[in-house]
Amino acid sequence: MIVEMKNIRKQFDGQEILKDISFGVDSGEVVSIIGPSGSGKSTLLRCATFLETIDGGEILYMGKKAAHTDASGKTQYVSHKELREFRSYCGLVFQQFNLFPHYSVLKNLTDAPVEVQGRRRQDAEETAMELLRKMGIADKADAYPYQLSGGQQQRVAIARALAMRPEILFFDEPTSALDPELTGEVLRVIRQLAEEKMTMVVVTHEMAFARAVSSRVIFMDGGVIVEQGEPDEVFGNPRMERTKQFLRVFER
Amino acid sequence: MTLSTMLSTMAAGMLRTSLIFVLTLVGSLPLGMAVALLKKSRFAAVRGIVRVFISVMRGTPLMLQLLVWYFGPYYLFRWSIRGWRFPALILGFILNYAAYFAEIYRGGIESMPVGQYEAAEVLGYTRSQTFLRIILPQVIKRIMPSITNEVITLVKDTSLAFTLAYQEVFSLAKQISASQTSFMPFVIAGVFYFVANYLVAFAMERIEKMMDYYR
Ligand SMILES: Nc1ncnc2c1ncn2[C@@H]1O[C@H](COP(=O)(O)OP(=O)(O)OP(=O)(O)O)[C@@H](O)[C@H]1O
Ligand SMILES: [Mg+2]
Repeated sequence: MIVEMKNIRKQFDGQEILKDISFGVDSGEVVSIIGPSGSGKSTLLRCATFLETIDGGEILYMGKKAAHTDASGKTQYVSHKELREFRSYCGLVFQQFNLFPHYSVLKNLTDAPVEVQGRRRQDAEETAMELLRKMGIADKADAYPYQLSGGQQQRVAIARALAMRPEILFFDEPTSALDPELTGEVLRVIRQLAEEKMTMVVVTHEMAFARAVSSRVIFMDGGVIVEQGEPDEVFGNPRMERTKQFLRVFER
Repeated sequence: MTLSTMLSTMAAGMLRTSLIFVLTLVGSLPLGMAVALLKKSRFAAVRGIVRVFISVMRGTPLMLQLLVWYFGPYYLFRWSIRGWRFPALILGFILNYAAYFAEIYRGGIESMPVGQYEAAEVLGYTRSQTFLRIILPQVIKRIMPSITNEVITLVKDTSLAFTLAYQEVFSLAKQISASQTSFMPFVIAGVFYFVANYLVAFAMERIEKMMDYYR
């Protein structure tokens, strides 16, 4: 298992947003998370990538505990220093890209590998160029984010996350901020990564994409996992009434 | 007094005015950042002190502050203030401008989208790396127009040094004008301030242009 989330609880202002959620991701798996707005999908990803702290449960990466709830019911995280190692296992691609606007595309991809991981600049630049070629934007290496289309920016953001060589990559609605005609180019690179057996968790509203690319689909609603399974099962033959209801909205 | 002796006498004042200007910026630009960061301190006492400092600095006239820094040590502690004129002057200017700059920095820092912090956090940047590499460069670009305003105000504010009878351009102009019953010194001083402001505005515009490579 790359990551295991066990009995995760999270509340905001006394309201439970994640209610006892458990799931794990194996190496090479592509897991899609679908569900209505407000069901806690983003919160789950933010807990997994340590942007939010959990109120209860356990988070393990590579079999090592990053956080757990102790006997007294308090949730303990490993030290700040150790947490940085756990952060290096996971990458996150945001809906809004969040590129660094003052850095060129190349610098967006090399700065963290050099400054955080201590890699040699030349190595980092080679890796970065290779990734940009893969994303089909090698000619944009010297451009600044504002000069790129949304689809190109999101591909840079994916490359930036990959440049850190994470074990697993999380995506939070990577195409939701894009014009419809630009979603294809981003979905294509994610699909390509899936074929290369990159371990990924993708929160998405692109049902056709989720069905085609994922090895497993999780349907979340109201802070719980309602149903999960192979995409053909969940989409073709959902067991839960709530899942059927949700999917019906996407049919036309 | 001929125009050329008038000019050469006032040139010394121009130099002193420039000295106030440069020392104030060199001191207050970094100090303002320290004040802005302390305002976000974990300790409520520190935040409280900083808040009082900023509101006093901004809520009272700079002229009064200069008088307090200069005469304060004598009236409070009966200390001799010989040789204290120039240090008191610079101290007063630096602290006053640091307060204004601190508020500009704070506004700039708070205007940064949270996504920049989150992206940096996920990539494993430490807090200080995040601030120095990701946040600060963008903040500087955002606040440059406000900094320019403040710097131009400073050019004119240097004339407040006359309060402590420091012989900068404005004080000299007043003295020479009185002794020579001539309007000319004021014209010279006016031209000096105008040209100084023009140069400052030009320099600031260049700096803003340098940061125009991204949006
Ligand atoms: N920082 C926060 N403070 C308070 N409430 C929050 C915070 N973040 C999320 N919430 C609440 O938690 C709930 C779940 O939010 P979350 O963003 O995880 O949903 P989501 O499934 O990602 O929805 P969407 O499909 O709209 O992105 C929402 O009701 C939201 O208002
Ligand atoms: Mg969301």
